[in-house]
This record gives sequence, structure tokens and C-alpha cells, in this order.
Amino acid sequence: MVERSLKYVDERLGTASLARKTLRKVFPDHWSFLLGEIALFALVVLVFTGTFLTFFYTPSVKEVVYQGPYTPLQGTEVSAAFNSVLRLSFEVRAGLLMRQTHHWAALVFVAAIVVHLCRVFFTGAFRRPREVNWLIGILLLFLALGEGFTGYSLPDDLLSGIGLRIFYAVTLAIPVVGTWVTYLLFGGEFPAGDIISRLFVFHIMLLPALLLGLVGAHMAILVLQKHTQFAGHGRSERNVVGKRLWPEQTFKSVSLLLFTTAVLALLGGVAQINPIWQYGPFEPFNVTSPAQPDWYIGFLDGALRLGPPWDLDLFGFTISEVFWPAVLFPGIAFGILTLWPWIERRFTKDRAEHHILDSPRDTPVRTGIGAAGLMVFFIMFLEGGNDIFGVLLNVSVETITRILQWGILIAPILTFLATYWICKGLSRTRLHPAHINAGVRLSRTADGGYETTSLEPTSSDGEREPTRTGG
Amino acid sequence: MTDSDQQGSERVDVDRQTGQGPADTELTGDQRRAERRAGIALVVAIVAGIGLFVVYFSGGQTQIEGILFAVAFGALGVALGIWANHLLDAREVVEERHELTSGPAGRQAFEDALAEEVGPVLGRRSLLVKLLAGAGGALGLALLLPVLSLGPAPGNSLKVTPWRRGLRVVDENGEPVTLNQVPENGFLTVFPQGHEGAADAQTLLIHVRPGTLKLPPDRLAGVPEGTHVAYSKICTHAGCPVGLYRAESQTLICPCHQSQFDVSDGAKPFFGPAARPLPQLLLGVDEENILVAQGDFTAPVGPAFWDRGR
Repeated sequence: MVERSLKYVDERLGTASLARKTLRKVFPDHWSFLLGEIALFALVVLVFTGTFLTFFYTPSVKEVVYQGPYTPLQGTEVSAAFNSVLRLSFEVRAGLLMRQTHHWAALVFVAAIVVHLCRVFFTGAFRRPREVNWLIGILLLFLALGEGFTGYSLPDDLLSGIGLRIFYAVTLAIPVVGTWVTYLLFGGEFPAGDIISRLFVFHIMLLPALLLGLVGAHMAILVLQKHTQFAGHGRSERNVVGKRLWPEQTFKSVSLLLFTTAVLALLGGVAQINPIWQYGPFEPFNVTSPAQPDWYIGFLDGALRLGPPWDLDLFGFTISEVFWPAVLFPGIAFGILTLWPWIERRFTKDRAEHHILDSPRDTPVRTGIGAAGLMVFFIMFLEGGNDIFGVLLNVSVETITRILQWGILIAPILTFLATYWICKGLSRTRLHPAHINAGVRLSRTADGGYETTSLEPTSSDGEREPTRTGG
Repeated sequence: MTDSDQQGSERVDVDRQTGQGPADTELTGDQRRAERRAGIALVVAIVAGIGLFVVYFSGGQTQIEGILFAVAFGALGVALGIWANHLLDAREVVEERHELTSGPAGRQAFEDALAEEVGPVLGRRSLLVKLLAGAGGALGLALLLPVLSLGPAPGNSLKVTPWRRGLRVVDENGEPVTLNQVPENGFLTVFPQGHEGAADAQTLLIHVRPGTLKLPPDRLAGVPEGTHVAYSKICTHAGCPVGLYRAESQTLICPCHQSQFDVSDGAKPFFGPAARPLPQLLLGVDEENILVAQGDFTAPVGPAFWDRGR
């Protein structure tokens, strides 16, 4: 049976030899190579739960009177979108589980992408020949953020409505074309009636199509170029040492998929997230406090809170104070991130192919810059919760903002210097991971003594001096 | 000894790849234990799966469903993990990397083919090729035209609100607001009559303590009794409704990014990211003691945009 179907497919598509090679494909084994896989598996969960959600969601701002089982909102005028999400949460069996799992999966998805990005950055995996996959990865990050933000806005609740309002202010702040871009995107002055249905099309069609296509390309290039590996015994720039796709990697990856799903289902079941019935329906003149977006937008909200109150008059035209933190800063920061492989090459003049990863300690400047960049985003993220920290720490919001305004100027520099110093120190020690992994081989000789062979990779591979110890 | 060591474990690995692992013949104690544990995990997954049926058909319960899904997926993952770590004949394998490039010769061959195939087709008809590019460009731009249908031209719309001279001030339910209806130190969100809930017309009517306003005379003329002052409720920073009022300091605070506005001094911002004061709505009182507008706001409301000042 199996043989016959194999024959059928192979005679028509000639896939047997390719499939054989694929089974034998070797992937290096390191925990940090699983971060991207976690993102992929969160995406799988997102696609399945998201498909379920679309069967119940109504992308419309038409006013309806809520008559469902949630008593505090009974008789309230709400949008059809908000109504459908309430119905999904309270009346559809397993609906709330699906919705909350979807939301948690989105948070984990972006988090896994960010951590995966950090791994790739700090180990220099973006170097030639992997610059194209770096670009695709950055695009995937943007698409994931776009998916997150559009999805977050769909329930048309008060909290996400405010987020949309702020996004509207950000696009308005784009110089010259901002007003036009905003009107084309939103369909008119806020809150234009079309925005929810447009967000829906973006969230379930345009962005996912791009996202899934690029994920395919990202992985196809990975297979074509073969995975990078850390330095170690027997590993060189010309080989890949690791486990085969079948059976080891398949078992491990499916196991990881199952664990990821288990964690997301657990969170979706027991950890309440985005309880829109507590925020209420969106009304343009209402507001909640404190108001925090999902974590990955937190840095932008914090940047808006930190921003200086400087608007600029340019021959009668206005540059908004929103422009600096929410248009210029992300433009520069993500611009540097996107172009990093080429920026670094300008300084290192290193055009060689690299398949052996750097240990972050051996590239102190890159590691320092990366750490400083993370610090910038972290301070913005903290400022995004300044009202919450204010209450928790019993400090005024003004104090926190002032401290973080100074912090964002000073902390990144200190972070760079500290990271640089730590890297330099670590790389001088004998505790180098490439050396630790190697270890020694102990063998008993015929005369009862022991021989230890150092397994540390040496410059001229293959020459290893056995050291004799008495026995 | 040293001789066989030189190739290290690499050679051993390659040898073992083709050979029969010990797993195929007899199980070690460790493997037997692992098999038992994996079996138990799979039974747990089956039980959790059955549990999901029971919970679903007895009405569903979000928390229990989540836990059971987690147990089922998790147990399955544990079983596969044990299988991967103990029951597979796991080994390191070395694969050679191949050159990614097709090399200078390959590239040259492609260039030659290109010159051979493309040149004769396009090269001799340069006028047609130019026209083709022009047609493509014109059509491409024309295809972008429908994008313009996505939104109206902004025009003047961001600079005006529905507030007009003589329009009555009403609350969100459309009830007219009379003088002194809002108690001292109180505030109310108001709209122009007939435009209740309009996003750009939302206004804060604040009843301040007498004699506390520091406004120029023309602005003070729009403050009935010197105590009923009205400002746009839309933050000039990022457009959130400025929903918090601290009566003792007469400060308006935006909950989104904590811009603070001094109500007694023309709602000028004194802390936070906002750069411009909240525009004021000049008010009057009609013969029925109901508050009315004297016109639109003193400036465009909400966040800044490019041609705001034009």
C-alpha cells in the first residue's frame, strides 16, 4: 500500500530521491536553535485557533443592543463586532478557550521571534551567506507586529479603540503625506466606519498570506544553506554536525510543538487575557486608566510617554511632537536593525562565508551594541507602564518619567561599556563554551595506565597530543 | 591508539550510521524503563482526551478544557521526548556542506545564454522595448488609482468640528446643559446638539472656582459667569480623550501618556509629551439659561498634522 502510493507519487513528481535526502538532513543540536521553532509552532496554533474565531466574528461597527448572558452589559448599545466577540466568549462552547489561546499564542509568537532574532544577532548568524534570510526574518517580525496590532483592535472594545486612536495620531504625524495616508488607511476622519472591516481583511488575509509565504521562504533558504553551528569538536566551516531530520529531529520538534501547544492551551484556559467585557464597548469620548497595550507595542507607547513636547513649525507646516518618538525613532531603530549585516560589514570588512557561529563574548562590540539597543527598548517598555509602576512603587508618574528620560540617554552607554567589559573578561578566561564542550577522552592502556586525549579543537584539525598520566 | 583517534568520533559515527544499533536486538534496562514511562504518558494523554469529550458534552468549562488540552498535549510531548532521548539510536552525524555558488563558469554560461536568447529578441527593437516600458509604467500607475477610493480627500475636515455659533450644549444623551447644572469643581463631557457622541466635537465643560481663570479678555468672554470654561476633550498629543480632572489643582490629565494641562491657564500643557494647549470652545448662555456655543474651537482639535497651521 505504502509502496504503491510512493511509486504513484514518484513516477509523477520524481520526489523519492529528494525525500530520501531530506530524511538524512542534518541539523545541529543546540537549545537556542529551537527558539525559531517555538515561533513557528505558536504560528501553527494561531492559524488553527484563528480560523475557529473567524467563523464567529462579525467585522462590523453597526450598532446592536447586547442581549447576551453577561448581565452588566445587557441592553447596552454595542457594535456588531464587540457583540460577536462577547457571544464567542460567553455562548460558544470552547469559544473563550480558543480566543484566549489565540491571544496568548500571539504574545508568545512575537516573543519567540524577538528572542530568536536576538540569538541570530548575538551569534552573528546573519553574516554571509545568510543576509537574505535576515531580511526575511525582519519582515516577519514586522508582519507579526502588524498581525498582533490588527488582531488586538478587532474586538472594538474601549482599550483597543484607544490604541487605534493613538495609531491614527501616529500616521497623522508622518510629514507631508500623513493626512492622506491616514485617510486612505482609516477611510476618513477617526473613527471612520470602515476601519474594523479593513483591519479584519488585513488580519486574516493580507498579512497572513505574506507571513506564511515568507515563513516558507525563510525555511526553504535555511534548508538550502544548511544550519549554522557553534564551534566544537569535529565541526568546521565545511560540515554540519548534528542529528538527522529523521528520526531524532522529528521526534524532538514534534515534542516541542506539543509542549508549545500544551502551554498555550493551559494559558488560554486558566489565565484570563483581554477581558473586553470589563473594558466595555468603544466610545470615542470614553477612556480607561491605566491603559496598557499588548507587550510588544509597549515600547512604542512608552516612547510616546517619554517623548519631548516639541512640535516644529516649518514654513507654516507642522511637525508633530508624535513624530520624534513614534515615527523617527522606530524608523531609525528598525532601519539599523534591518541593515545590520551591511553596517557591520562596513566596519569589519569581513566578506567571508560563515557557518560557524560567534560566541557573543568574542565579538564584544556587536554584543555591546545589541545589549545597548535592547536597553533602549526596555526603558521604553518600562515607561509604557509608568502609571502602573507609579501606583506599585508609590512614586509619582512625573518622577518615573523624568528618571527614565535621563535613563534612556545614559543607560544604553553604560550597558554598552559593561557588556564590552564583561565580554572581554569572559573571553580571556578558560571557560570558553567551545572548549568546555570538548572535554577529554580517557582511555585505559594495556599496562594499566591512563591516557587522556584533549578534545579541544586545534588550529590544524586532527593533531591531538595524547597526554600520559601515571597509572 | 593515536592512529584510530585521529579521525575521532566522526568516523565512528559514520560507521554506525549503516550498522544495526543495539536497540534493534535487545532492550537495556534503561530502555525498558523509558518504554514504561512513555507508555504511562500516552495513557495519560488518552485519559485527558476522553476527559475533553466528557467536559465538552456536559456543557463545557473553559478552565478544565484548557487544563485537559494542556495535559493531553503535554503528555504526548513527554512520551515523544522520552522516545527521542532513550529509545532512538541517537547519534551525531556529519554532513558535508556544498558550495552554494554555481561558480564563475556557471554564471558565465548563464550570461551567455541570456545574451543569446534575450539579446536577439529585445535588442534590435529598442523603440518597441521603450514603448513597452512606457505602457507598463502608465498601466501600472493607472492600476494604483483605485487606492485613492479608499478614503476621502482630507480637505478641511481635520480643522473643523460640528460646533457652530448658537448650537446648544448637550450631554451625551442629548439633554441641554444649563448654567450651574455642573457643580463647582465638577466637569461634564458635552456635545453640540444633534451631534451627540461625535468624536471630534467632544468637549469638557468644567465648572471652576470663581476668579481662578487667567485668560485673556477675548477668551474670558467665552466663559459664562467666569466659571464655565470648555476645552476640547481630545488630547493634542495622540488624541486620547483627556478623561482625568484634578479639581484642587485644576489640572486635566490624559490617561494615555500623562500629558497635563492647566485649566486655569488656557489648558496649556505643563508636563508630558503634549506640545499644544487644548483648544477652547467659547460659550454663551441663551434666554432659557442653556449654554450655547459662540462658534467652533479656537484651534484645530486633536493631534497635529502636516498642514494644521495653514
